[in-house]
Amino acid sequence: MKKFWCLFFMFWPIVALVVCAMAPGMNWWFPGESNSPIGVEIDGLFNLILIIVTIVFIGTQIAFGYVLWKGAHIQKNEKALYTHGSHNLEIIWTVLPCVVMLFIALYQMEVWAKFRVQSTFDQDAVSQPIAEVTARQFEWRIRYPGPDTKFEGKADITDWLKNPRPTDLYTVNDLHVPAGKNVLIHLRSGDVQHSFFVPELRIKQDAVPGTVIPIWFNVDNKTKKYDESIKGFSYELVCAELCGWGHYKMQARVVAQLEDEYKNYLLQLQKEQFDDGVSAESDDDEEEE
Amino acid sequence: MSFRLINSLIVLSFICCSGCDSLFMSSPAEFKLSKRTKSLHGPAKNAVQRNLLDKFGTPVDMKAWERFPINYGSIKGKVKEPGSSTNAFSVSFNNEQEILPENSILRWLTGSFAAAEEDLFRDIPIESYSAETGEIVLAKKLSEDPKEGDQFIINPGFVLQHGRKLYMTHCLHCHGVSGDGNGPTSEYLNPRPRDYRDGVFKFTSTLSTEKVSHADLQRIVKKGIPGTYMPSFMLLKDDELEAILSYVQWLSSRGELEKKMVAELEADYSTAAVRSRKKEGETSEAISKELQELLSVEFSETVDGLATEVAETWTRANSKESLVVPKISRVPDSPESRQKGRELYLSNKAKCATCHGPKGIGNGPETKLFRKIPGTNKEYDQPGLFDMWDKHVKPRDLTRGIYRGGRRPIDLYSRVYSGIKGTPMPAFAGTLTDEEIWHLTNYVMSVPFEGQSSHATETEKVSQK
Repeated sequence: MKKFWCLFFMFWPIVALVVCAMAPGMNWWFPGESNSPIGVEIDGLFNLILIIVTIVFIGTQIAFGYVLWKGAHIQKNEKALYTHGSHNLEIIWTVLPCVVMLFIALYQMEVWAKFRVQSTFDQDAVSQPIAEVTARQFEWRIRYPGPDTKFEGKADITDWLKNPRPTDLYTVNDLHVPAGKNVLIHLRSGDVQHSFFVPELRIKQDAVPGTVIPIWFNVDNKTKKYDESIKGFSYELVCAELCGWGHYKMQARVVAQLEDEYKNYLLQLQKEQFDDGVSAESDDDEEEE
Repeated sequence: MSFRLINSLIVLSFICCSGCDSLFMSSPAEFKLSKRTKSLHGPAKNAVQRNLLDKFGTPVDMKAWERFPINYGSIKGKVKEPGSSTNAFSVSFNNEQEILPENSILRWLTGSFAAAEEDLFRDIPIESYSAETGEIVLAKKLSEDPKEGDQFIINPGFVLQHGRKLYMTHCLHCHGVSGDGNGPTSEYLNPRPRDYRDGVFKFTSTLSTEKVSHADLQRIVKKGIPGTYMPSFMLLKDDELEAILSYVQWLSSRGELEKKMVAELEADYSTAAVRSRKKEGETSEAISKELQELLSVEFSETVDGLATEVAETWTRANSKESLVVPKISRVPDSPESRQKGRELYLSNKAKCATCHGPKGIGNGPETKLFRKIPGTNKEYDQPGLFDMWDKHVKPRDLTRGIYRGGRRPIDLYSRVYSGIKGTPMPAFAGTLTDEEIWHLTNYVMSVPFEGQSSHATETEKVSQK
């Protein structure tokens, strides 16, 4: 019976390892291959940590198993060994994790800085933000600068973020971006904390009330299929911060489009937004379904 | 000892779970009667309830009344001639069909299969259908060939069922099971969710006398209503959107019919009316007998007529004639046009400023007045304007640039032209000319940006910070 318990408790870590090893291949839990260059680097960090954790996991499980197994073989009249601990062991398992942690902390710096530190951002993208995304309960409201807007420096952008302009274009739950180049959006919240999460692009950024947070990304559509109906590549955008009872409703999409199609999209949007019901033909007005 | 502890923990958690179960698993969803219906005299109330149950069923067991122009998704047809085997036959549909949805089922309406006691041949999965030959192949062999002219229906009420599922997922917690805008989360919302039962929807592209159009409902569900808690359901698939709209329209029709039935009976047979009639000397037997006669003779016909009325308003809302179409295109947005709009805004003709305030921030003198509750002599306990749902409403703050009914010029034009249904915002169709409405639109669209042309110096200040 004792041996059964030993085997029982060793069995589950092995199952866990097998399942984890199979997971990427079977596409369990993983959000698929990254569709942005920075995502690939973030995946690199993720995998590195996964490897370290796996090694630690295997090591500790073997140690536990060994202790269990040994305990199971103790004879009835054999006395337990009493110890005050080992100074050397203590030092080893304190210093070793410190070294590992320090390594991770230093190793990730470059990628993280690239992703989050504003001075490292691509200045072309910074100088022409493509949209302001406002998360609110329970939707994403999007404001694009008018297609002809050229920002004149940082002050102009700050002003645009503070004061909407008559030429701005508005959509909801549907963020279109040009593909294959660095783009920047400004994220804000209309009420509580939300989180802008595009799993396939490995972007996750909290939207914090009272602040405007720039996010840059680059969609390369490496593994994505072109969707003819929307003339672009569609990515799921969800809220990753429990923001209220309707949290699950905050499903939207990011559509990456080729430069021309993106421009056409904005022009179409402009046409729709300034529709006076007379001059423009209203295709989307269905008389009857 | 520890085993005992774990055991008792497990037992405890089971008790908890079953306790929660009984908390969450309340009785099956049901349609509530409106307050006005409840105020009817017993038998009259029962008649209304019975009629609603007859025509609409319950949320669990719905009935699709074909009187209403609602897309229930069912396809009707009849057998043209038996085919090569007992599970194949050629058919003719009432409306031509190119394809059938996947996993369709067929239910017999007439003929020997419809009459059959056992359910075996009632809802039969369809294996294939070809528009060319007009032949349906069933997944199951019938016991005999269907006869020519046997009528059937494909996918009865499927769209409504689909709509119900989606409604329960996305809409119910605000709009409520009965569509009365009293879902569990509605209490925390301002403005309150729409009560569908009146069939009145605020933001439409139709004339002030007409109901909401299908395209309006589509737009509202897809784009949401900015400035309110109605979120956007942009990513619903087309069939999902249609299913939800069918369900909402069905709920709305149900509520409207209920309201109309009550209006028919209320004058003579509300609890209060019956009481006062008794006071005036009528015996309760006489009243009961009169009501009995009314309900057994005329009432079903009356209900039929009322339903037709409701159905007609829905159909009419989708006709071309009901749509607001400006006679002239938008007057080019210029300082002069805005100025004219501004003058109109302040004028006695349009009186915009009386509610929206001279600066457009929604604080006109009308918002300071105490109003009487309609139908009574009492005043509301707070000053300002009230909508038909007796909720306090604020005139829109035009400086904020949030447009609940949409920000397109045509949306603003429609708001002015037909007003906002159910609210004190009046229709100016008769008062203002098209040109004037466009001037007004140009002005209103410029209000959020007033004083922005000279923002250069201000911007510099901001950037220095």
